[in-house]
Amino acid sequence: MSKEQVEQRLTQLWESPKTLWGALATVDHKTLGKRYIATAITFLIIGGVEALMMRLQLAKPNQALLGPEMYDQIFTMHGTTMIWWYASPILSGFAVFLVPLMIGARDMAFPRLNAFTYWTYLLSGLLLYVGPCLGQAPHAGWFAYVPYTLRPYSPAHGTDFFNLALILLTISTTGGAINFIVTIMRLRAPGMSVNRMPLFLYSTLTTSWVTIFGLPPLTAANVFVELDRRWHTHFFDTAHGGNPLLWQHLFWMFGHPWVYIVFLPATGMLSMIIPTFARRPIVGYPYVAISTVLTGLVGFGVWVHHMFAVGMSHMTMSFFSAASMTISIFTAVQVFAWIATMWRGKPVLTSSMHFAVGSVALLIIGGLNGIFTAVIPVDWQVTDTYFVVSHLHYVLVGINMFPVFAAFYYWLPKMTGRMMHEALGKVSFWVMFVGFNFTFFPMHVLGIEGMPRRIYTYAPNLGWDWVNMMITIGAFTLALGILLSIINFFWSVKHGQVAGNNPWFADSMEWSIESPPKPYGSIHLPTIASRHPLWDEHDEEKDPNNQRILDQARLTFTTTWLDADYVALASIPEDTILPLLLALGMFVLLGALVYQLLWVVLGAGIFSLLITGIWLWPTSEGQIG
Amino acid sequence: MTPVFTDESTHIEHAPPPVQRIDDTRGTYGMLLFILTEAMLFVFMFFSYYYVEKGNERWRVEEPPKLHYALPQLGVLALACLLMWWGQKQAVQRKAFTARTMLIATIILGLGYLTLGYLDDLEHQLHVGPRTDAYGSIFYTITTVHAGHLILGILMCFWVLFLPRSKWEPVERPPHRPYYNVLLYWYFLAVVWAATVAILYIGPNVYNAL
Repeated sequence: MSKEQVEQRLTQLWESPKTLWGALATVDHKTLGKRYIATAITFLIIGGVEALMMRLQLAKPNQALLGPEMYDQIFTMHGTTMIWWYASPILSGFAVFLVPLMIGARDMAFPRLNAFTYWTYLLSGLLLYVGPCLGQAPHAGWFAYVPYTLRPYSPAHGTDFFNLALILLTISTTGGAINFIVTIMRLRAPGMSVNRMPLFLYSTLTTSWVTIFGLPPLTAANVFVELDRRWHTHFFDTAHGGNPLLWQHLFWMFGHPWVYIVFLPATGMLSMIIPTFARRPIVGYPYVAISTVLTGLVGFGVWVHHMFAVGMSHMTMSFFSAASMTISIFTAVQVFAWIATMWRGKPVLTSSMHFAVGSVALLIIGGLNGIFTAVIPVDWQVTDTYFVVSHLHYVLVGINMFPVFAAFYYWLPKMTGRMMHEALGKVSFWVMFVGFNFTFFPMHVLGIEGMPRRIYTYAPNLGWDWVNMMITIGAFTLALGILLSIINFFWSVKHGQVAGNNPWFADSMEWSIESPPKPYGSIHLPTIASRHPLWDEHDEEKDPNNQRILDQARLTFTTTWLDADYVALASIPEDTILPLLLALGMFVLLGALVYQLLWVVLGAGIFSLLITGIWLWPTSEGQIG
Repeated sequence: MTPVFTDESTHIEHAPPPVQRIDDTRGTYGMLLFILTEAMLFVFMFFSYYYVEKGNERWRVEEPPKLHYALPQLGVLALACLLMWWGQKQAVQRKAFTARTMLIATIILGLGYLTLGYLDDLEHQLHVGPRTDAYGSIFYTITTVHAGHLILGILMCFWVLFLPRSKWEPVERPPHRPYYNVLLYWYFLAVVWAATVAILYIGPNVYNAL
């Protein structure tokens, strides 16, 4: 067969029909990854508008744009949207798109599960926003402490939508984690042993393991609260032997590992981007890899530092204080590796590199003020003040949003086939960087001066007026910077320079194929001989006897988890509507639970089980996933 | 770009794949990870039990749950696992009738387990119900969530039971994989119930006896 015939055959096998049905039934990781990213950016914009509403209210003392109840609802929806529906899913989106390309596989290990996790993510976000659309938004903050979330204080359904949307999201996130683990451990190209894996895979893998262990306490906590709210149990009711602190423990047992879930993949992105633009391999690859894993591991042992103010023994607090400081060592290893890589290399200051270097600077500030809050006396002083708001934004925005923008400028050419506008990208970075620091650095001062977080207004003459005005101006500047990048994206998709396979001369496998990638990826599935496949002399696609085309069916390789030795062929399922139907079934089930429509719950449950049974029915080709 | 890294000592061959076998282990890995995350759910529910119990003057221990249903339930689950394990061995040897019979026996044992659990609940609710206090809430939540998982296990058995023989035995892959994956899930059910009996049943009885 000629090359054209092979390409035609592979395209027939792997391409989804360009129809509405094809769009709803696709299991293609590239399409799903882009959908994840677009949906997460939509939630970023929604959460950003909510933040601007808060800043308008706080720009001057005694403002009346938002009342106290509305302000509570807005800050709750802002935090919830940003933390859960933007920060983690945006990273999942990049991983869904990139992981199979980086490991030289044709799709994820469980493509239908991949589609299911996307649809449940989208529908969980819609479930969350049903409450606000009905005028019943949750109002207890993104960590939703009891007893404020119990019926006497939150009688409206907004809190129920919040809890049940989170349960649906945890199903999505857990499914995604299982998929990433099996994909990375079983589908790597022959030769890509663990010591040759790109660092982005280490961070995605670590995050996925953290998800498997770290999400169940949140599920348990949400179930307990819903039972207390709607079924009159007493988990948190002190009058009947319950304990409100149980929520805090369960929430932060989940919550602190979650910080690393939204943090580690972004560090993995930086570990890919910085060496490319420094024009050399990363310094200390094994130490960065080990630090990534240890950050995820030690992240389970620090949750109590969120609870120093509740009253605990000195021994307990000392242990968790020490553990919290220990974790900064692993982050410091990564930061030093990035700095050393730039120091030893010849940095090229592209837009992407601007965002990457900026995020390192912000991470250092966020890390240092985090050490302040790990010191118990300081923590007591600044708990529930704007100091903490500053810290969490330096960490989460600094090491999530800025790396994500670095990733946009780096990988969007691979996704769209067009380069982003470099000059506009740099302008966007500087506007965002200045806006961000004008927004969040003064919050340190406000916090130390005693301004509590989550107050809807404040009296004049407390010395907070001009600082708050400056923060509001900074917030709008930051929003302008983000808008510039969005404009850049839409302009570049139409008018950007054609990207080619590898516009950055990067070293990892996703750059070996066309931009945007063909539905099947590469014609010959690659073999890997080093940590930097595109910088070495090994020809990854050399296949003289055409043994690695695999055009008999939708196939890819499975390999051993340690050395990536060839094991067998994995049969990849075709497009199907079942993941969407199952996600809809679960959406209806959880939505009906809010109103206790038990017959609807039962019907949706039976429907979901039937769909699952059909989904799992094996085919003669042995398709799994 | 000039090559900056070569690793000739481990340079792999451009050899063709040695066999054309279809991998079927991904489902097992998926099941193991699903079991792991569900096991963590029970771990955190047990944590909740201990956390709320600690120093709680209102914690009910004067009428601890009786063992005369819980221990037989454990025996039933252990027997179910044993039968499924043997049935899976039969499936490997392509003895489909025996393998299916063991599945039916497991389903019957699962229903027996649920009946015993219902009787246990009826008796224990004479002293404390899920809405009585925090102890009742946690106790019944853990046992109900486990029963829910067991119902799922029964449905999995039905699913494997109805798999046509040809689906069990495609020539290019082992015949027993779905059976094996469900067996793993039943091991998980048994281990969680053993932990539940130790923590929720035996623990309070021992405490009272002391």
